[in-house]
Amino acid sequence: MGLPLPWPFDRDYMQLALAAGLVVGACGPLIGAFLVQRRLALMGDGLGHLAFAGIAAGLLLAVWPVWTAMIAAVGGAIAIEWLRSRGRASGDLALALFFYGGLAGGAVLSSRATGADANVVPWLFGSILTVEPGDVWTVVALGGFVVASVALAGRALLAVVLDEEAARVAGLPVDVLNALLAVLASVTIVAAMRVVGVLLVAALMVLPVASARLLARSFRTTLLAASAIGAGSVVAGLWLARRFALAPGGTIVLVAAAVFAVVASARTGSGAHSPAPPGTTGR
Amino acid sequence: MQAAPTGGRAIDQVLTADAVSFAYGAHPVLDRVTLGVGSGEFVALVGPNGSGKSTLLRIMLGLLRPASGSVRIFGESPRHLEERWRVGYVPQRSSAAGDVPVTVEEVVATGRLARRGWWRRPGPADRAAVDHALSAVALSDLRHHPVRALSGGQEQRVLIARALAGDPELLVLDEPVAGVDAESQRLFRDSLVHLVREHRAAVLLVSHELGAVADDLDRIVVLRHRVVFDGPPSELARRGVSLGVHAEDLPLWLEGLR
Repeated sequence: MGLPLPWPFDRDYMQLALAAGLVVGACGPLIGAFLVQRRLALMGDGLGHLAFAGIAAGLLLAVWPVWTAMIAAVGGAIAIEWLRSRGRASGDLALALFFYGGLAGGAVLSSRATGADANVVPWLFGSILTVEPGDVWTVVALGGFVVASVALAGRALLAVVLDEEAARVAGLPVDVLNALLAVLASVTIVAAMRVVGVLLVAALMVLPVASARLLARSFRTTLLAASAIGAGSVVAGLWLARRFALAPGGTIVLVAAAVFAVVASARTGSGAHSPAPPGTTGR
Repeated sequence: MQAAPTGGRAIDQVLTADAVSFAYGAHPVLDRVTLGVGSGEFVALVGPNGSGKSTLLRIMLGLLRPASGSVRIFGESPRHLEERWRVGYVPQRSSAAGDVPVTVEEVVATGRLARRGWWRRPGPADRAAVDHALSAVALSDLRHHPVRALSGGQEQRVLIARALAGDPELLVLDEPVAGVDAESQRLFRDSLVHLVREHRAAVLLVSHELGAVADDLDRIVVLRHRVVFDGPPSELARRGVSLGVHAEDLPLWLEGLR
């Protein structure tokens, strides 16, 4: 790239990291907001564990792990959705099944993968400083898919996560929209795993939403604020990581958590949050 | 399909249940229930707790399949009705707000999606319908407020406005006034009467208390696993059951139906 950006983004590898990180930081919370609204905040975590099994399978089979991770996460997301909607398992029980199944599968598969590149650690904790231009283009393409989908289907997805039964009665294609949300969550996970790693993927989807929901009054402004906080956390996290030689994935997530801590304590301190009128049901 | 009882005049039936039976396992809930709601009719379905009201409602909306019998909405089976927006549904209050803030207007606007096609952007007609629905439930001033900051009665009116935004020809409401303050009950009554009188829509209100709407009903259907009464409110009054806002008679009478 070689753009004349100020320190710490003066080097090519930092610019590639910044580009991938900004896309992921801005897109993750877009999908995270719908998952939080549905009270499935940990879905990203479950899918991250499945993606880990996919990565291990990719390393074992010597194919690009992004594709195998995508297959595992999308397949798992649709299976979780199927279990949840058919009432075969509650939402969090279905997640737990895949959570541990994915992690165990990844552990077993990676123990059999012995090639020169068969190192799962960069995928577990991210390796944003080693992304290559090809990786960045993949992340940009996945991010573009997420943004376009939310622009097109965001209103319908909101209707479904707000009140699935009413959406079904109204004739919205609830099953299709649920599957779309599951696929979007998987795509986001796969895009984000190079940045923060599969273990911290969900944090980038959920933590900025947790902060934005305290600041915003509408769903739309929550989406925008969460995106901005996500992208800002990436910039600040990369800056801190280079300045103090820290692991960038973890630093980015810690920044997002610190933003939440500051916002939450400021809201509590000012007493501005939830002066509930009488008769409110206490949410 | 039964003939509508209103003055011997045949009415187009927008919603009918014909000999519908249902059981949860070995526990029978509905026993050959037959009822109809005609175009422009305002009907209340009442019954004690556990009488099968909610089950019948879910069957009529196509969310449950009956064990036997059949349901028709606008002449179609609920699962095959193409123009689903013709049915507005107000669920029991509980689900208007979640963990993420959402404004009154955002929730009400979702009621318009099925009608315009969910992938389309809202046009002038959609915005006008949302405005109209908000003013019908007297929430225009609160349109940009987050739903989580509303009172229970206001939140219930948000759900009614969401259903009204689709300009339904049949509005089905499940226990809409449970625990709602008197002011909200009055606004609720006004919005339903507006819908029936001005838009010629049919309303099926499922409740165990009729509160403010008692005087506006065309018919009352009393359910206790089967239909034990189906007729105008005056007929029920002749049996000594009063239906006014603070009347205790109806709940007591319902509990006595054993």
